[in-house]
Amino acid sequence: MTVAEPMLFCLRVRYVKQGRLRHLGHLEVARTVERSVRRAGLPYAVTQGFSPHMRIAFSSALPVATSSVCEWYDLVLKSYVPAAEALEKLTAATPKDLAPVQAGYIDMRAPTLGLLITRQDYRIHLATSYAAEEVDRALGAVATLGKVNYLRGKKEKVLDLNATLDTWSVEPADGGVAITLKTRSSNEGSLRPEILLTAIDRMLTGTLETEPITSTGTPELTCSSRIEVEREDQYGEDDEGGRIDPL
Amino acid sequence: MRTPYENRFADIEPLLAHVEKPSRYINHEWGTLSEQDASYRACLIYPDVYDVGLPNQGIAILYAALNRASGISCERGYIPWVDMADAMRAAGIPLLSLEGAAPVASFDVVGFHIPHEMAVTNVLEGLDLAGIPKLAADRGEDDPLVIAGGPSIYNPEPYCDFFDAILIGEGEEQIVEFCEAHRRLRDEGRSRAEILRELARVGGVYVPSLYEVCHDKACTRWGYTVPADGTEVPPVVYKRVVRDFGATDPLAQSIVPYTELVHDRLSVEVLRGCARGCRFCQAGITYRPVRERTADQVVSSVMRGLEKTGYDEVSLTSLSTTDHSCVKEILTRLNHRLEGTGVSVSVPSQRLDSFGVEMALAVAGEKKGGLTFAPEAGSQRLRDIINKNVTEEDLERAVRAAFEAGWRRCKLYFMMGLPGETDEDIVAIAELADHVLDIAREVVPKGQRGGLSVSISVAVFIPKAWTPFQWCAQLDDDEVKRRQQLLLKSVRNKAVRVHYHDAETSLIEAVLSRGGRALAPVILGAWERGQRFDAWSEHFELNRWLEAAAACGIDLREVAHEEFPLDARLPWEHTSPGVSRGFLEREWRRALAGKTTADCTRESCTGCGVCPTLGAENVLMGERS
Repeated sequence: MTVAEPMLFCLRVRYVKQGRLRHLGHLEVARTVERSVRRAGLPYAVTQGFSPHMRIAFSSALPVATSSVCEWYDLVLKSYVPAAEALEKLTAATPKDLAPVQAGYIDMRAPTLGLLITRQDYRIHLATSYAAEEVDRALGAVATLGKVNYLRGKKEKVLDLNATLDTWSVEPADGGVAITLKTRSSNEGSLRPEILLTAIDRMLTGTLETEPITSTGTPELTCSSRIEVEREDQYGEDDEGGRIDPL
Repeated sequence: MRTPYENRFADIEPLLAHVEKPSRYINHEWGTLSEQDASYRACLIYPDVYDVGLPNQGIAILYAALNRASGISCERGYIPWVDMADAMRAAGIPLLSLEGAAPVASFDVVGFHIPHEMAVTNVLEGLDLAGIPKLAADRGEDDPLVIAGGPSIYNPEPYCDFFDAILIGEGEEQIVEFCEAHRRLRDEGRSRAEILRELARVGGVYVPSLYEVCHDKACTRWGYTVPADGTEVPPVVYKRVVRDFGATDPLAQSIVPYTELVHDRLSVEVLRGCARGCRFCQAGITYRPVRERTADQVVSSVMRGLEKTGYDEVSLTSLSTTDHSCVKEILTRLNHRLEGTGVSVSVPSQRLDSFGVEMALAVAGEKKGGLTFAPEAGSQRLRDIINKNVTEEDLERAVRAAFEAGWRRCKLYFMMGLPGETDEDIVAIAELADHVLDIAREVVPKGQRGGLSVSISVAVFIPKAWTPFQWCAQLDDDEVKRRQQLLLKSVRNKAVRVHYHDAETSLIEAVLSRGGRALAPVILGAWERGQRFDAWSEHFELNRWLEAAAACGIDLREVAHEEFPLDARLPWEHTSPGVSRGFLEREWRRALAGKTTADCTRESCTGCGVCPTLGAENVLMGERS
């Protein structure tokens, strides 16, 4: 006797990470979203095996303290719930600083978020007395180096700017400057904005050669008393460089 | 002037980027209850970090009860981890509540949960961070009332100087009465002293400043405590018991944290109390009588709780869940309801018989981690002395059943330094462990023996107030170390792993369990020398405690290792869980004679005195197996 493969549905959801909850780590966010799904009463599917768990997959981890308007997860459901209804239930069951804002179905065989998303755009606000032109020049100088060496714990790592930094712009903003970064990610790595920011800071203060950069959640910068980083957009690209939206 | 109640989250936010686990401090969790507008504010503090304190069920129960009361808002507080505490001190930010991010000193009442003895330096750390005078005697009209409660206040004397009032027993009704009375007295404009005198009339409330220590009759070096002249307070404060346990909501927990916790799951309290009568066990006395919830109530609360919180695990909590007369029915119904959801059920401790294993099997499903059993002593003679009513055959059957059912890891808990213990009893621990491993090798097929593990964990016995062993001395450290070595040498099999508890922590636990009011300066001295987070081995420094005690002319080892005469009045006898002294003395004599005493939920009344004294009784939902 053969058992028919049950029909499954993949709901793709965009959510935000903002306010106080931007201080959550990736695992904390994932756990919270899973609990929201259960509270929402959605018919989620579970994995087979010794310890069954919810079939849910998230887009790449957002660093602690970074906010976002475009985080994604794919949730496998055992039965179809209209996307608008699912979104409404999830919204009612999720802390508002992690609110889901868009939901729709994708083909179960569609590329995963991890494969699809290769582009991340960030907007960074630095409270600083440096002018936009100075910051822009420093960023340009760092970009010209093509890479930034840094330490993660005791491990020496390299941020490959040639591969990950696409374009940028710097403009004056309230109390400082606003940097917009368009970045690329692949299996080889992605651009962690705090490493680039620390490099810019060292460039501005002329200490790039003397002090090693270490990766810590939020860096302490000489040039800026307050840093706000927000992920503004995540998407993929087709062979011609055209934009592919996750939904 | 009272510190104003205002939201100061903006002050701590810049610190968050630079501390471990910022999610400990951000609040805004799912399911918080406090109201912003309230005429009376309470802040309940667990004296450890957020991730240890949040799952505490006692605080969850009181939090729900207070927030249900009209016009009262209850918030939570925890002790910031050392990195955050130091950063807050450096930035001049006081301890803040979680929900409102308001200074703890701005609340009407601040309540500390006392989960165990080692938490006490963190109470002082919390008060100091809050800017509230650490000694009750130094507090003024504008300071909040500082109160305490919880499982470890059955000898309140060492902590007396730090609290304005100590609430003994089950708090869900008591704390609401206390706060409502406090609000009324506050609104009448009464002085702090008048307020405390009135609050001492609330049942189960002990106001230490209205009592004094005497030394004039047969007593220990700590004296005994009686009402001070001119105060109309009860000579013995009996613990509170909830009038109708079955009528209380089993689902106290509402908050779902972001931070990963030590116990990250839904908890539903299925019964209260345990009458097995282990003679070393304080909870076995202080939580009596035994009261079970109905199976319907448990099952429906679990389902409601899972729906409300979104947890993927539920724990059926109590001192002895598998003793519930309907535990089998409850587990069967829950397994049925939760099939295919990925939600698992857990039961905190296993009974040492084949029924215990059957129940463990009912919750484990396909996933079998380790099973933990607590024989407590190695020989039958010593198990009879401590009234651990478990035979060698029970243990053998349980272990055999566990390995047959597919478990591969087994952990056995023991105590060392029990009254009447000899070297043979220590050797018996080793033999028991070896025997368990032999059974495992016999039962488990050859190819699967790789994952087999038997480990034993040996704690140091700590004599606790209100137990039949309350007169006993703690074994001295050198002797503990010698017996630990004897145990290590006696274990035949290298595959048996042996863990033992640190004798130094146990020493402080013993001192705080059996000492009196005169210990307050020692505790204060230990905190002043830098002690906090004593329950974390990386922060525990015995030397600071020894120095603090020496400065007060007290030798801590002498305190822990002193036997109390049977006819002496003990330091804690004015705050009582309702057990009669006659029963404890009788149990002590039976222990010396190696006679066991039955469990009153299975056989007849043993005359402990709790039911008649407190006006309560055992409530069972059926025959216990």
